[in-house]
Amino acid sequence: MKVIVRSLVIALAVTGAIATTFVNTTPAKATITAKTSAMPVPACPPDDPNACGMGTW
Amino acid sequence: MPSSSFIGVLGYLEIFLCVAALAILIGKKQWRDYWGLGALLVVRAASNSLLMAVEQFSGRGIERHIAYHIYFYVYWIGFAVESILALLIVYGVFKLAMAPLKGLQTLGMLVFKWAAGISVAVALGSAFSPGLKGTGLLVNAISQLQRTQSILTLCLLLFVTFAIRPMGLSYSSRIFGVSLGLGIMSTNDLVQSAWLVFNPTMASTYDVVNGVVICVILVTWTAYFALPEPKRRIIVLPTTSPFLRWNQISQALGDSPGFVAVGGVPPELFAPAELEVMRRASVKMVTPFPSQSETRATFSRAV
Repeated sequence: MKVIVRSLVIALAVTGAIATTFVNTTPAKATITAKTSAMPVPACPPDDPNACGMGTW
Repeated sequence: MPSSSFIGVLGYLEIFLCVAALAILIGKKQWRDYWGLGALLVVRAASNSLLMAVEQFSGRGIERHIAYHIYFYVYWIGFAVESILALLIVYGVFKLAMAPLKGLQTLGMLVFKWAAGISVAVALGSAFSPGLKGTGLLVNAISQLQRTQSILTLCLLLFVTFAIRPMGLSYSSRIFGVSLGLGIMSTNDLVQSAWLVFNPTMASTYDVVNGVVICVILVTWTAYFALPEPKRRIIVLPTTSPFLRWNQISQALGDSPGFVAVGGVPPELFAPAELEVMRRASVKMVTPFPSQSETRATFSRAV
Protein backbone atom coordinates (compact mmCIF):
# COMPACT_ATOMS: atom_id res chain seq x y z
CA MET A 1 0.00 0.00 0.00
CA LYS A 2 2.74 2.40 1.06
CA VAL A 3 4.80 1.63 -2.05
CA ILE A 4 1.79 2.02 -4.35
CA VAL A 5 0.76 5.38 -2.88
CA ARG A 6 4.32 6.70 -2.94
CA SER A 7 4.81 5.55 -6.53
CA LEU A 8 1.56 7.24 -7.56
CA VAL A 9 2.57 10.51 -5.91
CA ILE A 10 6.05 10.43 -7.46
CA ALA A 11 4.49 9.70 -10.86
CA LEU A 12 2.18 12.72 -10.44
CA ALA A 13 5.07 14.99 -9.47
CA VAL A 14 7.32 13.78 -12.33
CA THR A 15 4.50 14.16 -14.87
CA GLY A 16 3.83 17.68 -13.61
CA ALA A 17 7.52 18.55 -13.82
CA ILE A 18 7.82 17.21 -17.40
CA ALA A 19 4.68 19.10 -18.47
CA THR A 20 6.03 22.33 -16.94
CA THR A 21 9.37 21.90 -18.71
CA PHE A 22 7.57 21.24 -21.96
CA VAL A 23 5.42 24.37 -21.63
CA ASN A 24 8.40 26.53 -20.65
CA THR A 25 10.51 25.43 -23.62
CA THR A 26 7.75 25.81 -26.20
CA PRO A 27 8.33 28.65 -28.71
CA ALA A 28 4.73 29.90 -28.34
CA LYS A 29 4.51 33.49 -27.05
CA ALA A 30 1.93 32.79 -24.37
CA THR A 31 0.66 29.42 -23.27
CA ILE A 32 -2.57 29.09 -21.33
CA THR A 33 -3.46 26.73 -18.53
CA ALA A 34 -7.03 25.58 -18.23
CA LYS A 35 -8.80 24.30 -15.15
CA THR A 36 -9.62 20.67 -14.60
CA SER A 37 -13.31 20.82 -15.38
CA ALA A 38 -15.82 19.31 -17.77
CA MET A 39 -16.53 22.82 -19.07
CA PRO A 40 -14.86 23.68 -22.41
CA VAL A 41 -11.91 26.11 -22.24
CA PRO A 42 -12.54 29.53 -23.84
CA ALA A 43 -9.14 29.76 -25.55
CA CYS A 44 -10.09 32.44 -28.12
CA PRO A 45 -10.17 36.18 -27.32
CA PRO A 46 -13.60 37.50 -26.23
CA ASP A 47 -14.06 39.47 -29.48
CA ASP A 48 -13.57 36.38 -31.64
CA PRO A 49 -15.74 36.81 -34.78
CA ASN A 50 -16.82 33.17 -34.63
CA ALA A 51 -17.53 33.34 -30.85
CA CYS A 52 -14.96 30.52 -30.54
CA GLY A 53 -17.44 28.18 -32.16
CA MET A 54 -19.86 28.51 -29.25
CA GLY A 55 -23.13 26.69 -29.77
CA THR A 56 -21.48 24.13 -32.01
CA TRP A 57 -19.74 22.14 -29.23
CA MET B 1 -23.06 8.58 -27.34
CA PRO B 2 -21.23 11.46 -29.06
CA SER B 3 -18.40 12.99 -27.00
CA SER B 4 -20.21 16.38 -26.71
CA SER B 5 -23.21 14.66 -25.04
CA PHE B 6 -20.84 12.75 -22.77
CA ILE B 7 -19.07 16.01 -21.80
CA GLY B 8 -22.48 17.54 -21.07
CA VAL B 9 -23.32 14.64 -18.73
CA LEU B 10 -19.92 15.04 -17.04
CA GLY B 11 -20.64 18.77 -16.62
CA TYR B 12 -23.87 18.05 -14.74
CA LEU B 13 -22.17 15.29 -12.75
CA GLU B 14 -19.38 17.68 -11.75
CA ILE B 15 -21.88 20.19 -10.33
CA PHE B 16 -23.75 17.43 -8.51
CA LEU B 17 -20.53 16.02 -6.98
CA CYS B 18 -19.40 19.52 -5.92
CA VAL B 19 -22.66 19.99 -4.03
CA ALA B 20 -22.47 16.46 -2.56
CA ALA B 21 -18.86 16.94 -1.35
CA LEU B 22 -19.77 20.34 0.11
CA ALA B 23 -22.83 18.92 1.92
CA ILE B 24 -20.76 16.12 3.48
CA LEU B 25 -17.95 18.51 4.44
CA ILE B 26 -20.45 20.75 6.25
CA GLY B 27 -22.43 17.79 7.63
CA LYS B 28 -19.29 16.30 9.19
CA LYS B 29 -18.48 19.69 10.79
CA GLN B 30 -15.20 20.02 8.90
CA TRP B 31 -15.78 23.55 7.60
CA ARG B 32 -13.49 25.11 10.23
CA ASP B 33 -10.48 23.03 9.14
CA TYR B 34 -11.23 22.84 5.42
CA TRP B 35 -12.98 26.14 4.71
CA GLY B 36 -10.69 26.73 1.71
CA LEU B 37 -11.84 23.51 0.09
CA GLY B 38 -15.46 24.34 0.91
CA ALA B 39 -15.09 27.77 -0.70
CA LEU B 40 -13.45 26.18 -3.77
CA LEU B 41 -16.40 23.80 -4.14
CA VAL B 42 -18.89 26.67 -3.78
CA VAL B 43 -17.09 28.76 -6.44
CA ARG B 44 -16.77 25.75 -8.76
CA ALA B 45 -20.46 24.80 -8.43
CA ALA B 46 -21.63 28.40 -8.91
CA SER B 47 -19.36 29.19 -11.88
CA ASN B 48 -20.09 25.88 -13.64
CA SER B 49 -23.86 26.33 -13.19
CA LEU B 50 -23.57 29.78 -14.77
CA LEU B 51 -21.36 28.49 -17.59
CA MET B 52 -23.80 25.64 -18.25
CA ALA B 53 -26.71 28.08 -18.40
CA VAL B 54 -24.86 30.42 -20.78
CA GLU B 55 -23.88 27.48 -22.98
CA GLN B 56 -27.48 26.22 -23.08
CA PHE B 57 -28.97 29.62 -23.94
CA SER B 58 -26.32 30.58 -26.49
CA GLY B 59 -28.11 31.31 -29.75
CA ARG B 60 -31.45 30.56 -28.05
CA GLY B 61 -32.19 33.70 -26.07
CA ILE B 62 -28.67 35.10 -25.74
CA GLU B 63 -26.80 36.20 -28.84
CA ARG B 64 -23.76 33.94 -29.45
CA HIS B 65 -21.11 36.69 -29.21
CA ILE B 66 -22.61 38.09 -25.99
CA ALA B 67 -22.87 34.56 -24.63
CA TYR B 68 -19.19 33.95 -25.40
CA HIS B 69 -18.25 37.25 -23.72
CA ILE B 70 -20.07 36.17 -20.52
CA TYR B 71 -18.64 32.65 -20.75
CA PHE B 72 -15.09 33.95 -21.21
CA TYR B 73 -15.11 36.28 -18.18
CA VAL B 74 -16.99 33.89 -15.87
CA TYR B 75 -14.57 31.07 -16.73
CA TRP B 76 -11.32 33.01 -16.28
CA ILE B 77 -12.38 35.02 -13.21
CA GLY B 78 -13.66 31.82 -11.60
CA PHE B 79 -10.36 30.15 -12.46
CA ALA B 80 -8.34 32.96 -10.84
CA VAL B 81 -10.43 32.77 -7.65
CA GLU B 82 -10.04 28.98 -7.57
CA SER B 83 -6.25 29.27 -7.97
CA ILE B 84 -6.04 31.61 -4.97
CA LEU B 85 -8.33 29.33 -2.95
CA ALA B 86 -6.17 26.33 -3.88
CA LEU B 87 -3.14 28.16 -2.47
CA LEU B 88 -5.10 28.77 0.74
CA ILE B 89 -6.03 25.06 0.88
CA VAL B 90 -2.36 24.09 0.53
CA TYR B 91 -1.53 26.51 3.37
CA GLY B 92 -4.34 25.09 5.53
CA VAL B 93 -3.37 21.46 4.86
CA PHE B 94 0.25 22.17 5.77
CA LYS B 95 -0.91 23.85 9.00
CA LEU B 96 -3.10 20.87 9.92
CA ALA B 97 -0.38 18.32 9.07
CA MET B 98 2.20 20.09 11.24
CA ALA B 99 -0.18 20.80 14.14
CA PRO B 100 1.61 18.54 16.70
CA LEU B 101 4.99 20.23 16.14
CA LYS B 102 4.09 23.82 16.88
CA GLY B 103 7.58 25.21 16.44
CA LEU B 104 8.16 23.66 13.03
CA GLN B 105 4.60 24.57 12.05
CA THR B 106 5.24 28.26 12.75
CA LEU B 107 8.57 28.19 10.93
CA GLY B 108 7.15 26.24 7.97
CA MET B 109 4.19 28.60 7.62
CA LEU B 110 6.51 31.59 7.62
CA VAL B 111 8.66 30.00 4.91
CA PHE B 112 5.53 29.01 2.95
CA LYS B 113 4.15 32.57 3.06
CA TRP B 114 7.41 33.99 1.70
CA ALA B 115 7.81 31.26 -0.94
CA ALA B 116 4.19 31.60 -2.10
CA GLY B 117 4.36 35.41 -2.12
CA ILE B 118 7.59 35.49 -4.15
CA SER B 119 6.35 32.76 -6.54
CA VAL B 120 3.07 34.58 -7.18
CA ALA B 121 4.90 37.89 -7.73
CA VAL B 122 7.36 36.28 -10.17
CA ALA B 123 4.53 34.43 -11.97
CA LEU B 124 2.47 37.58 -12.41
CA GLY B 125 5.56 39.55 -13.42
CA SER B 126 6.50 37.00 -16.07
CA ALA B 127 2.98 37.26 -17.55
CA PHE B 128 3.90 40.67 -18.98
CA SER B 129 5.09 40.02 -22.53
CA PRO B 130 5.66 42.80 -25.09
CA GLY B 131 2.86 41.70 -27.44
CA LEU B 132 0.27 40.96 -24.76
CA LYS B 133 -2.37 43.36 -23.49
CA GLY B 134 -5.97 43.38 -22.30
CA THR B 135 -7.62 39.99 -22.04
CA GLY B 136 -4.52 38.21 -23.39
CA LEU B 137 -2.52 39.57 -20.50
CA LEU B 138 -5.30 38.61 -18.04
CA VAL B 139 -5.42 35.02 -19.33
CA ASN B 140 -1.62 34.74 -19.33
CA ALA B 141 -1.40 36.08 -15.74
CA ILE B 142 -4.07 33.64 -14.53
CA SER B 143 -2.30 30.78 -16.33
CA GLN B 144 1.03 31.67 -14.71
CA LEU B 145 -0.66 31.91 -11.30
CA GLN B 146 -2.23 28.50 -11.86
CA ARG B 147 1.12 26.96 -12.84
CA THR B 148 2.76 28.36 -9.70
CA GLN B 149 -0.06 27.05 -7.54
CA SER B 150 0.18 23.62 -9.21
CA ILE B 151 3.91 23.35 -8.50
CA LEU B 152 3.43 24.39 -4.85
CA THR B 153 0.59 21.87 -4.52
CA LEU B 154 2.73 19.04 -5.87
CA CYS B 155 5.50 19.99 -3.42
CA LEU B 156 2.96 19.82 -0.58
CA LEU B 157 1.70 16.44 -1.78
CA LEU B 158 5.24 15.05 -1.81
CA PHE B 159 5.84 16.41 1.70
CA VAL B 160 2.56 15.01 3.09
CA THR B 161 3.14 11.60 1.46
CA PHE B 162 6.64 11.13 2.81
CA ALA B 163 6.13 12.78 6.22
CA ILE B 164 2.71 11.26 6.88
CA ARG B 165 3.86 8.56 9.31
CA PRO B 166 6.15 10.77 11.44
CA MET B 167 3.18 13.18 11.69
CA GLY B 168 0.98 10.44 13.19
CA LEU B 169 -1.29 10.32 10.13
CA SER B 170 -2.18 7.55 7.68
CA TYR B 171 -3.27 7.34 4.05
CA SER B 172 -6.88 7.26 5.30
CA SER B 173 -6.52 10.72 6.84
CA ARG B 174 -8.47 13.58 5.30
CA ILE B 175 -5.29 15.64 5.10
CA PHE B 176 -3.86 13.09 2.67
CA GLY B 177 -7.15 12.75 0.75
CA VAL B 178 -7.40 16.51 0.18
CA SER B 179 -3.71 16.72 -0.82
CA LEU B 180 -4.05 13.78 -3.21
CA GLY B 181 -7.09 15.32 -4.92
CA LEU B 182 -5.32 18.65 -5.29
CA GLY B 183 -2.19 16.90 -6.57
CA ILE B 184 -4.10 15.04 -9.28
CA MET B 185 -5.80 18.29 -10.25
CA SER B 186 -2.47 20.13 -10.45
CA THR B 187 -0.83 17.46 -12.58
CA ASN B 188 -3.81 17.43 -14.91
CA ASP B 189 -3.72 21.24 -15.19
CA LEU B 190 -0.04 21.15 -16.13
CA VAL B 191 -0.50 18.34 -18.66
CA GLN B 192 -3.48 20.14 -20.14
CA SER B 193 -1.41 23.28 -20.45
CA ALA B 194 1.08 21.35 -22.60
CA TRP B 195 -1.80 19.84 -24.61
CA LEU B 196 -3.32 23.27 -25.35
CA VAL B 197 -0.08 24.42 -26.99
CA PHE B 198 -0.90 22.18 -29.96
CA ASN B 199 -4.70 22.14 -29.69
CA PRO B 200 -5.78 25.70 -28.91
CA THR B 201 -9.45 25.13 -29.81
CA MET B 202 -12.17 25.46 -27.23
CA ALA B 203 -13.70 22.00 -27.40
CA SER B 204 -11.20 19.19 -27.78
CA THR B 205 -10.69 15.55 -26.94
CA TYR B 206 -9.00 16.56 -23.73
CA ASP B 207 -12.34 17.86 -22.36
CA VAL B 208 -13.41 14.24 -21.85
CA VAL B 209 -10.21 13.51 -19.87
CA ASN B 210 -10.79 16.72 -17.89
CA GLY B 211 -14.37 15.79 -17.07
CA VAL B 212 -13.44 12.28 -15.95
CA VAL B 213 -10.48 13.50 -13.84
CA ILE B 214 -12.51 16.16 -12.00
CA CYS B 215 -15.27 13.62 -11.25
CA VAL B 216 -12.65 11.18 -9.86
CA ILE B 217 -11.19 13.97 -7.68
CA LEU B 218 -14.63 14.99 -6.36
CA VAL B 219 -15.56 11.36 -5.62
CA THR B 220 -12.23 10.98 -3.74
CA TRP B 221 -12.92 14.05 -1.60
CA THR B 222 -16.51 12.97 -0.95
CA ALA B 223 -15.36 9.49 0.12
CA TYR B 224 -12.64 10.86 2.43
CA PHE B 225 -15.12 13.18 4.14
CA ALA B 226 -17.92 10.62 4.28
CA LEU B 227 -15.84 7.82 5.82
CA PRO B 228 -14.75 8.05 9.46
CA GLU B 229 -11.22 9.39 9.85
CA PRO B 230 -8.72 7.31 11.89
CA LYS B 231 -7.43 9.09 14.98
CA ARG B 232 -4.02 10.62 14.85
CA ARG B 233 -1.41 8.37 16.48
CA ILE B 234 0.74 9.56 19.34
CA ILE B 235 3.97 10.92 17.94
CA VAL B 236 6.96 9.46 19.76
CA LEU B 237 10.36 10.89 18.95
CA PRO B 238 13.71 9.91 20.48
CA THR B 239 15.19 12.59 22.70
CA THR B 240 18.09 12.88 20.26
CA SER B 241 15.76 13.42 17.27
CA PRO B 242 16.74 16.42 15.14
CA PHE B 243 12.99 17.05 14.56
CA LEU B 244 12.51 17.51 18.30
CA ARG B 245 15.58 19.76 18.58
CA TRP B 246 14.52 21.89 15.59
CA ASN B 247 11.00 22.11 16.99
CA GLN B 248 12.35 23.41 20.31
CA ILE B 249 14.58 25.91 18.53
CA SER B 250 11.71 27.06 16.32
CA GLN B 251 9.46 27.49 19.35
CA ALA B 252 12.03 29.77 20.97
CA LEU B 253 12.41 31.84 17.79
CA GLY B 254 10.35 34.98 17.71
CA ASP B 255 9.67 35.09 21.46
CA SER B 256 9.56 38.64 22.78
CA PRO B 257 12.82 39.10 24.74
CA GLY B 258 13.15 40.20 28.35
CA PHE B 259 15.10 43.37 29.22
CA VAL B 260 17.75 43.94 31.89
CA ALA B 261 18.67 47.34 33.32
CA VAL B 262 22.47 47.45 33.34
CA GLY B 263 23.13 50.93 34.68
CA GLY B 264 21.88 54.43 35.28
CA VAL B 265 18.97 53.29 37.44
CA PRO B 266 18.12 55.89 40.11
CA PRO B 267 17.01 54.43 43.50
CA GLU B 268 13.76 56.46 43.31
CA LEU B 269 12.55 54.01 40.65
CA PHE B 270 12.31 51.22 43.21
CA ALA B 271 9.57 50.76 45.77
CA PRO B 272 10.64 50.90 49.45
CA ALA B 273 9.94 47.17 49.85
CA GLU B 274 12.19 46.38 46.86
CA LEU B 275 14.97 48.53 48.31
CA GLU B 276 14.65 46.71 51.63
CA VAL B 277 14.88 43.31 49.92
CA MET B 278 18.01 44.41 48.07
CA ARG B 279 19.60 45.81 51.24
CA ARG B 280 19.05 42.57 53.15
CA ALA B 281 20.34 40.50 50.24
CA SER B 282 23.49 42.59 49.99
CA VAL B 283 24.11 42.20 53.76
CA LYS B 284 23.92 38.40 53.40
CA MET B 285 26.21 38.39 50.39
CA VAL B 286 29.10 40.17 52.15
CA THR B 287 30.83 37.61 54.39
CA PRO B 288 32.31 39.44 57.44
CA PHE B 289 36.09 39.15 57.27
CA PRO B 290 37.53 37.70 60.55
CA SER B 291 39.58 40.13 62.71
CA GLN B 292 43.35 39.56 63.41
CA SER B 293 42.84 38.39 67.06
CA GLU B 294 40.19 35.83 66.00
CA THR B 295 42.55 34.44 63.39
CA ARG B 296 45.47 34.12 65.89
CA ALA B 297 43.31 32.31 68.55
CA THR B 298 42.05 29.81 66.01
CA PHE B 299 45.64 29.08 64.89
CA SER B 300 47.01 28.49 68.46
CA ARG B 301 44.07 26.15 69.33
CA ALA B 302 44.85 24.10 66.28
CA VAL B 303 48.55 23.75 67.29
